[in-house]
Amino acid sequence: MTSDTNIELPKRKRNKDDGELDITPMIDVTFLLLAFFVVVSKMDPQAAVELPKASYGESVPDKNCVTLIVVVDKDDETKISIFKGRSMSDDSRIPDGDEETQEEEIGNFVENELAAHPTKQAILIKAAGRVKTGMVEMVKRGVGQSELGKSRKIYVGIEEEQ
Amino acid sequence: MSKKKKQKKDSENGPPSFGLNEPTGQFADLDDEMKSRAQSKSDAHKMATPLTNNPEDLKFKQMGWKGIDESTPEEEELEDNVAFEKKDIPEDELDMTPMVDVTFLLLIFFMVTASFTLQKSLEQPHTKSDAPSTNVQPDEEIKDDYIQVNIDQNNTFYVTTRDSDETECPSDSEMRARVKDAKLNSSATRLIIKAHVDSYHAKVITAWDTGVVNDMNEIEIQTTDEDF
Repeated sequence: MTSDTNIELPKRKRNKDDGELDITPMIDVTFLLLAFFVVVSKMDPQAAVELPKASYGESVPDKNCVTLIVVVDKDDETKISIFKGRSMSDDSRIPDGDEETQEEEIGNFVENELAAHPTKQAILIKAAGRVKTGMVEMVKRGVGQSELGKSRKIYVGIEEEQ
Repeated sequence: MSKKKKQKKDSENGPPSFGLNEPTGQFADLDDEMKSRAQSKSDAHKMATPLTNNPEDLKFKQMGWKGIDESTPEEEELEDNVAFEKKDIPEDELDMTPMVDVTFLLLIFFMVTASFTLQKSLEQPHTKSDAPSTNVQPDEEIKDDYIQVNIDQNNTFYVTTRDSDETECPSDSEMRARVKDAKLNSSATRLIIKAHVDSYHAKVITAWDTGVVNDMNEIEIQTTDEDF
């Protein structure tokens, strides 16, 4: 039996004359877009921090920073919560106490994070606009207690506005 | 139940219909004959093939028989009196329409919720001393031209330059205008922000931003717990 042309590959059925649009490429593109937006959109509750507004800011990738969040209670301005890391959960909240213990805890956290993640090169403080200046300074002093933190840049999160 | 049978029944008992493919009833005998022929071949699809050119079929053709519609029995069950033009979806192919619908919905959802606001931030210096400063730095020490913005415990701005007196600026825009003025009238490249510990963080950022907008090369923050 010679290599005959009897055997043919099954042809894709596509009736071009039946006036129907071929939607396959459109679906392909749609799925690509869908995948893109799924990856891009992040659902973390970072909008909860009302950052102060400024006209200019640097873009610092969140994941390359050790993040600290400072928020103030809506009704009680004296109630301030400091969170270690990007999530605002009870586990990551620094317990209330005197400034020294809080500074120490911040220092330890920054030191551990910087040592554990070599990609993290800076410290990002996301402080709400209504937090008192003294609190932000306290957090900065806490960062300064960490040996590694001393040599890293400190960034303060802002919301850009025109 | 075949289509032929059903349509025949409809034409006999039901109201008069006006569909294109409706049988008129005048070929009832031919219908039965074709049906029996197909059954003898025991192949439903052969029954549905168009009439061939053999003389017997030609005879039927001349009498106006157009052959039996080629369609699957499942569809016929759904057909009503009025015949819609139905497109055949081959059974081995998936109907993708609902999937595409859902995908578009998801796409729109993620497009709407996607926030492109990137994290922006300002670089700020480390604090130099642990305690807030309690002694006022004598002005004589500062040789360069400078602009100083004080923020008191009530979040009021006070703008001072080396050559002018303190000006009270209750609002952000007044402070911005004042600093811009001072910058135009001097060669200052240094902005000193002196904030009370009880002032809002947002006020310090506003003052810092004013410095950035006005091309101040050197911005420093001092905090104090002394009332102004």
